[in-house]
Amino acid sequence: MTNNNSGSKNEEEVGSYFLEVARGAHKKKEEEMEEDTEDDESPTELNTINSSGGFLVVSTDKISVKYPSVNLHGHDVGVVQANKPAPVKRLVYYFEIYVKDSGAKGQIAIGFTPDNFKMRRQPGWEPHSFGYHGDDGMLYRGQGKGEAFGPTYTANDIVGAGINYASHEFFFTKNGAVVGTVYNDVKGSLFPTIAVHSQNEEVHVNFGQKPFAFDLEDFEKQERMKQQMTVEKISLPPNVSHGIVRSYLLHYGYEETLNSFDMASKTTVPPVHIAQENGFDEQDIMYALNERKTLRQLIKNGEIDAALGKLHDWYPQIVQDDKSATCFLLHCQKFIELVRVGALEEAVKYGRIQLAKFFGLAGFEDFVQDCVALLAYEQPQESSVGYLLEDSQREVVADAVNAMILSMNPNLKDSHGCLQSCLERLLRQLTACCLERRSLNGDQGEAFYLHRVLNIGKKC
Amino acid sequence: MSLFWIVIRHLAEIEAMATSKKVITKEEWEKKLKDVKIRKEDMNKLVMNFLVTEGYVDAAEKFRLESGTEPDIDLATITDRMAVKKAVQSGNVEDAIEKVNDLNPEILDTNPQLFFHLQQQRLIELIRNGKVEEALEFAQEELAPRGEENQSFLEELEKTVALLAFEDVSNCPVGELLDISQRLKTASEVNAAILTSQSHEKDPKLPSLLKMLIWAQNQLDEKAAYPRINDLSTAKLEDPAV
Repeated sequence: MTNNNSGSKNEEEVGSYFLEVARGAHKKKEEEMEEDTEDDESPTELNTINSSGGFLVVSTDKISVKYPSVNLHGHDVGVVQANKPAPVKRLVYYFEIYVKDSGAKGQIAIGFTPDNFKMRRQPGWEPHSFGYHGDDGMLYRGQGKGEAFGPTYTANDIVGAGINYASHEFFFTKNGAVVGTVYNDVKGSLFPTIAVHSQNEEVHVNFGQKPFAFDLEDFEKQERMKQQMTVEKISLPPNVSHGIVRSYLLHYGYEETLNSFDMASKTTVPPVHIAQENGFDEQDIMYALNERKTLRQLIKNGEIDAALGKLHDWYPQIVQDDKSATCFLLHCQKFIELVRVGALEEAVKYGRIQLAKFFGLAGFEDFVQDCVALLAYEQPQESSVGYLLEDSQREVVADAVNAMILSMNPNLKDSHGCLQSCLERLLRQLTACCLERRSLNGDQGEAFYLHRVLNIGKKC
Repeated sequence: MSLFWIVIRHLAEIEAMATSKKVITKEEWEKKLKDVKIRKEDMNKLVMNFLVTEGYVDAAEKFRLESGTEPDIDLATITDRMAVKKAVQSGNVEDAIEKVNDLNPEILDTNPQLFFHLQQQRLIELIRNGKVEEALEFAQEELAPRGEENQSFLEELEKTVALLAFEDVSNCPVGELLDISQRLKTASEVNAAILTSQSHEKDPKLPSLLKMLIWAQNQLDEKAAYPRINDLSTAKLEDPAV
């Protein structure tokens, strides 16, 4: 593979790019989980290790507290934090308490405190802590003196505390309605905190294991809509979406769709004109449109032999090096197709001829091992290597062949252009910008995930 | 790296430090781009969503065959919707209204503003064709009663009727109502109402994502200097600004 001409170098780049994509599919499942939970875990119960034991009693199920004795001064508050800090990689974090018994003086509090909080003081009485107190309805944020904030609360009330990462605010609720918000300038992690301070006070906490009294989903929806409205006001150059869709169809070789699209565009009112000066150099991507379409169809139908045949006829240079990444992907796919129809003996034979040489080659080994592992199962589609049998695998091979042909274009200006369509580059940029922005913001808030955005519509 | 680029890079860093912005080089940024996972099937869905919402029925059908992506709406309903849209775009408003009612009579019933705009368009077309008497009759019988119920309808009605006062409509202040863009506005409104009645989002997702990209880059500009995409149609990465 040390052929030094630039054509071959291009080929290596394209081939190994798609080999990476194919190998990446194996890790897809883990990543789907990662997107969902976004890495940080939520509090589930109260922390009995660092709570001010002695002043309060935590139940065995760790979700309720009682203040048993008589309080004497301001340093015997029964405070307890959640077992984990509030997760930040999301739009909003929220939890609630139910006041079972307001005891002698109803000196209950809910709020957020930092890691090193003095566990004998009410949340809000110490710097960098925030607390909404039931006896006076005031908000305390770092000093002994509170500010008028909301209503008082007592027995049978459900009170909630939340962090809105989009607006950088804390918000508190009483019986399902927001009572007030306050700016959140805390950078470090914060623990959901509750406190009781007079005899017989009893509070139950809900970290989401039960439905909330407050409609959190609706609140989140409203927040997202606010952002959407700001974004919608931005104006786009005319017909830019149209142009991007067209270039997508051209890039991947969806010839029939492109023809229908172009015809329909002529008769729309007003007719869509794409500016030819910037953006699309038609020569580049019209290149070999029909061949690319044909090969994509063959590969998507699993007809690998036919595809290899056509490639030998039209682009022999792509398949001349049998050890190239492109040939590797095609041979593996042929093997997968044989397993799919149950022709296991033939698959074994094919594997011995075409795949054996890849064992021991870095970069190819783990993928070829997965392919061969398919043979071990009666129901390969249910196994851990079942992903190889999905349509998306055929798609990767089709895209690889497509990119290889694009790279053969003698008029090619930008070699990277073969690898990714314009749409893909835009989506990557969008995702990267959102992630970077969040990371520079203390990792707080929601990032952009195309998959999630596309499936939001399904829920309604 | 040549001395020139080293100097440029230092200048960028100095400027960034002055404004406390993080500097991200092209190599660092390209690594971040590479780490993003974009699934081909999701991009296909985005394209299909565009074709379907904008009404490219044949293209959507072909795309389904060529890519194996399932449309998120019944393609048959698109043809009906497009017929309505075309009728309005061509000025055949009566025809459009009939078609909408055939599709779903509730749409106009539950959408008084849409219905008013369609009637208004009818009036505009009558005026455009010089049918002055018919236009006046129509305005008085059909539109005036609606105008009485609603202040903004009344204002629009008065604007429309004002067209009749001018010999040379191309130069009058309300001449824009005769422009084709007015038909397109109404056509868009009816298209959206039909989609909503079919429990489908009325706008394609792609333009929103493009706007989000512009927004995200503007937001990130406040905190970092990094390679931007300034031309959406080429998606070319520009080096971080000095």
